[in-house]
Amino acid sequence: MMLSRAARPALRAGAAAAARPATLNATNAATYATLREIEGRLKSIRNIEKITKTMKIVASTKLTRAQKAMTESRAYGQTSNTVFEKAETKALEGEGKKTLIVVCSSDKGLCGGIHSGMSRLVRKMLLEKPDQDLVVLGEKCKAQLSRSNGRNFVLSFAGIGKDVPTFADAAAVADQISMLPTDYTSIKIIYNKFNNAQSYEPIAIEAFSEEAIAQSPNFAAFEIDDDVLANLREYTFANALYWALAEGHACEQSARRNAMDNASKNAGEMINKFQILFNRTRQAVITGELVEIITGAAASEEG
Amino acid sequence: MAFAWKAAGLSYNRYITVASRVVRRSLKEDKRIAAERRGETELRFSKWENGKQSEPRNLNEANQAAIAEHAQSASS
Repeated sequence: MMLSRAARPALRAGAAAAARPATLNATNAATYATLREIEGRLKSIRNIEKITKTMKIVASTKLTRAQKAMTESRAYGQTSNTVFEKAETKALEGEGKKTLIVVCSSDKGLCGGIHSGMSRLVRKMLLEKPDQDLVVLGEKCKAQLSRSNGRNFVLSFAGIGKDVPTFADAAAVADQISMLPTDYTSIKIIYNKFNNAQSYEPIAIEAFSEEAIAQSPNFAAFEIDDDVLANLREYTFANALYWALAEGHACEQSARRNAMDNASKNAGEMINKFQILFNRTRQAVITGELVEIITGAAASEEG
Repeated sequence: MAFAWKAAGLSYNRYITVASRVVRRSLKEDKRIAAERRGETELRFSKWENGKQSEPRNLNEANQAAIAEHAQSASS
């Protein structure tokens, strides 16, 4: 009887400190509380595992579509790049040239460090040359970069990453960027390059200005009229944007798949650990109760 | 080479967006639905000045407004 009475205040204390993590070496007196505590935790971890597993499956299905879109969009980007390679176009170097950085991220998180990787690259570029302007696609990089480099922002876009990006998206964004009052001599597009399902890296591709195209050494080989040149520039810019968006989207989905895979694995490990802890604690509680009964019986026999 | 759409204030990207929309709309019913999904945009954008974000606006409407403005200034 003594034991159970001694357990009462401890039970109340245990309930008050329910937020405290349940440990293996919990004292016998507090076991009543921790047992329920562990059960609650076990339940919530199981729910989290269910959620992360579902998110992983969703990301996997989206990944196949995203990868298909990416391979298709590569054709767009690479074809226009071939033109510039053959023409040996180079970015114009010089003083007082305005550079624009376009960052292709998305609105959604829960996909590891792909957005922060891009933000880090942009910050590094801005440290080297602080007077570059920023256009950010997607809420995630906007939130990260607006904290440190808010003054460099000229435009931000939202609503990216709900679905596979379309060329119409890219064209509309390209139009809006070309409507900016400042004339940029070089535009850099930052996106995540898709190496394989496990790895990606943030890189920059260059979208050339009209002058840069016109001054490229082999430009004469193409016989392009000056009037059409502006169209070519607009179109290649949209192409490059579309490519970057699609590749970034595929990276995001694969990163999300990996992140959710890891999360499910961790949850599984935790469930195992807590299951063992739960069983042991239950055993300890039963043993404790038995001891109580036996000692009580022995005491009443004596008396 | 002068283009009619250029004189009307359209950019090349806008021109091909309109052209592709026309093509998509003239497809057969089953193919059209799948194709039209590729032409949708739901982007919003906002301008920034001195580190401050302005009200987000719908990108498509803003583009159309800008073109209308452009066309007026070109014709007058």
